[in-house]
Amino acid sequence: MDKIYGQYGILLDINLTTKEIKKTKISKNDLKNYLGGRGLGMKILWDRIKEPGLDPFSPDNPLLFMPGPFSGLPIPSSSRTTIVTKSTRTSPVTDKFEHSSTISYANMGGFFGPEVKFAGYDGIAVTGKSSSPVYILIEDDKVEIKSARSYWGMGTDNFDKVLIEKYGKEYQSCYIGQGGENVVPYASIINTAARAAGRGGVGAVMGSKKLKAIVVNGSQQPKLAKHKMYLELLDKARTAFHEDKKGVDYWRSGGTAHALESSSNAGTMAVRNYREGTFKEIEMINTKAARTQIWKRDFACFSCQLACKKSGFAKGAYGGVVHDGPEYETGTMVGANLLISDLEGLNKIIFVCDDYGIDIITVGGVLGFLMEAREKGMIDLEFLDGIDLKWGSVDASIEMIHKIVRKEGVGKLASLGVKALAKHIGQGSEEFAIHVKGHELAAWNVNTRAERMMITYGTANRGACHLNSSSPSRQNHNAMQDSLGACSFAGKWYNKETAYRLFIEAITGIEQTEEEFKQIGERIFNLEKMFNYREGFNRDDDKMPERFFKDAHTYGKGEGVLATHSDFDQWIETYYSDRGWDLKTSKPTAEKLKQLGLDFVI
Amino acid sequence: MTHKETSRRDFLKKLAIGGGGVVILGKYHFLFGNEPKNGILKAIVVDFDKCTGCRTCETVCSAFHHPIEINGELLNGLGNPKLGNIQVYHYNPDVDIPSVCANCPDTPCVNACPVIPDPLTGHKAIYRDEVTQAIRTNHSVCISCGSCSRACENERTGIIKMNPVTQHPEHICDHCGGDPQCVKHCPYGALSFREVDINKTYFGLSPEEIAEELFERYYSGEEVING
Repeated sequence: MDKIYGQYGILLDINLTTKEIKKTKISKNDLKNYLGGRGLGMKILWDRIKEPGLDPFSPDNPLLFMPGPFSGLPIPSSSRTTIVTKSTRTSPVTDKFEHSSTISYANMGGFFGPEVKFAGYDGIAVTGKSSSPVYILIEDDKVEIKSARSYWGMGTDNFDKVLIEKYGKEYQSCYIGQGGENVVPYASIINTAARAAGRGGVGAVMGSKKLKAIVVNGSQQPKLAKHKMYLELLDKARTAFHEDKKGVDYWRSGGTAHALESSSNAGTMAVRNYREGTFKEIEMINTKAARTQIWKRDFACFSCQLACKKSGFAKGAYGGVVHDGPEYETGTMVGANLLISDLEGLNKIIFVCDDYGIDIITVGGVLGFLMEAREKGMIDLEFLDGIDLKWGSVDASIEMIHKIVRKEGVGKLASLGVKALAKHIGQGSEEFAIHVKGHELAAWNVNTRAERMMITYGTANRGACHLNSSSPSRQNHNAMQDSLGACSFAGKWYNKETAYRLFIEAITGIEQTEEEFKQIGERIFNLEKMFNYREGFNRDDDKMPERFFKDAHTYGKGEGVLATHSDFDQWIETYYSDRGWDLKTSKPTAEKLKQLGLDFVI
Repeated sequence: MTHKETSRRDFLKKLAIGGGGVVILGKYHFLFGNEPKNGILKAIVVDFDKCTGCRTCETVCSAFHHPIEINGELLNGLGNPKLGNIQVYHYNPDVDIPSVCANCPDTPCVNACPVIPDPLTGHKAIYRDEVTQAIRTNHSVCISCGSCSRACENERTGIIKMNPVTQHPEHICDHCGGDPQCVKHCPYGALSFREVDINKTYFGLSPEEIAEELFERYYSGEEVING
């Protein structure tokens, strides 16, 4: 077998039931065909979950922490870690198995992925289930499973401080809060107290294994195949950022929060449980307001030139709260979508969610759904355990979040998400239960750009996902990008002479044509799709909530615009045929799978 | 952490107004009138308002100081950030503190070195280079006692650490021979190479001490004059 460059070909394999720790080989072929991150995670998941219907909370569901081939190298904006597992959040229209669910991939920035690479691994696989709370301590080859009893029950902010105090600057970590510990299905995994791998229930799987944290300190870097070529590319990439002052400044000056105002103006924002696309009080929570009232400092992930994270300090009714200020997803989902315009209150809700370690996008969807059901008289105060959940209420929202995390009373049902809530409440509430395959939509509303957003949300392999994109080629590109350890926000600076493909050639030595390289993303996307198809997801599941065919926005840009079911059918069929998928079932054709080297899934 | 450092800063300010001389006060021990004769002392100075904690400085420092040979050509290394002479400390609440050799005029590290100076050069195992004015080490005479590291830890930034394998001091900034890579590559313009000024607010302070000041500055509303 020829030598592997730029990666190790090693997966750190930890079984929390047997406490066995070993290094498992990753083949050079898998590294070539799936890169790392989301793609390699998917391949490992496929290899390990041999049968459909596995309970995501089963000890056999692997939780995979995947950096990519860029991780640990100072390539600008290459800090991302993807966490791959079988989703706790999704289910098909018709259950084929008791535990049918899709794959899940959740992506976080920060410093964790690079540190895993420094420790000498291309990924970490955690299987099994501990009987008592533990954390994993990795120092290069030395790996220990340690007791986390004294940390169990700790919020992520406090725990982060404890870890900094105990381990210091050489160590990076990611962890769960009470959300994950209590196995709230939409629990997230957090690092640096604010960066989240939020979606698809990765924190719930971690909690179900009684794993509080992974703490890593490494000292290595793998040898590259074409070192000089890499240095030249690195230089060009740095120059590309340096020369685009305006492009870089967009991220530094506000990050995604800039989109709060532009999206509201464009009528593309999730407002009032997706009933509207424009937030009338947007100036209360936009970047200007945040810069004046909340934001204190800009923060960057490892080797990133964009610093889109804004650390804030909110004062006022909720006391001094130091936390990551609102960005587009958080500001919209627990702001505009709930008609909350109290910026300090909004910051408090964001803090509470991150401290518990629960997905803010989903929380915004759940609270919005409950507020609407209450307003429509489908549920009453008694149903809500006396919590006066009304549009715009910060206090009631926080109370409900406490209930969800503790799984108390109404919180137990609400912890299952809007699909389960609508099923329980009935009365036609499923029309405004905003999810695809059980996964709540993100902060980009649908009606104003119906074709684009319906394909984006409807065809995403982890259930509704705003980062999926609407054309097969962009979806494939994003799947590839998520597999490098690269950040999608910086994608535009990796073109032509700084193309990802060239970096991969320099790092791994594998020379590929553009066409061959493009196939990587398509291969990953189709393997994910086949995993889902095997679980029983088909064309019936690529569907949108009824709201988007019935309720046109009543004001703002896009007012009165609605797509019809036949529009959607036509768009999805065009998409399937572009993909080479069967129009009736949505299954990738055998021919397509063979072409992608996925013969083993046919 | 305590607030004792505020009083230290005040002390330093008073000191600057009062002029030179020898002052011994526990940790706050400065020797004046002992500046090098050849040219001015320079060091990497951090603007903590601009630092975002991206650690680019660590990687470019490491890449420059740990080159690798490829086909007979010496090229920059991969930039393992752990090997950078500059080191960025992250805290919660969010502040990031790049810590780097302050090139102290009174050299507590050199003073602490027990090695007998070379009769020709006057150099101990740790010394100030006459040409670059940077602090350098000579491992061939180093006895691995750790005195320099302890002096730095007790009196200044604490950046000098003993390498656990070689048992020699490391993380001492050599200014890359006059064109510091960290300054050149910092994407945020947070670093500059300028004359050492002991009166600056954060001169010679440890990352913990600076973090404490920045917590107050950013997250309590109390204004502090920046260095």
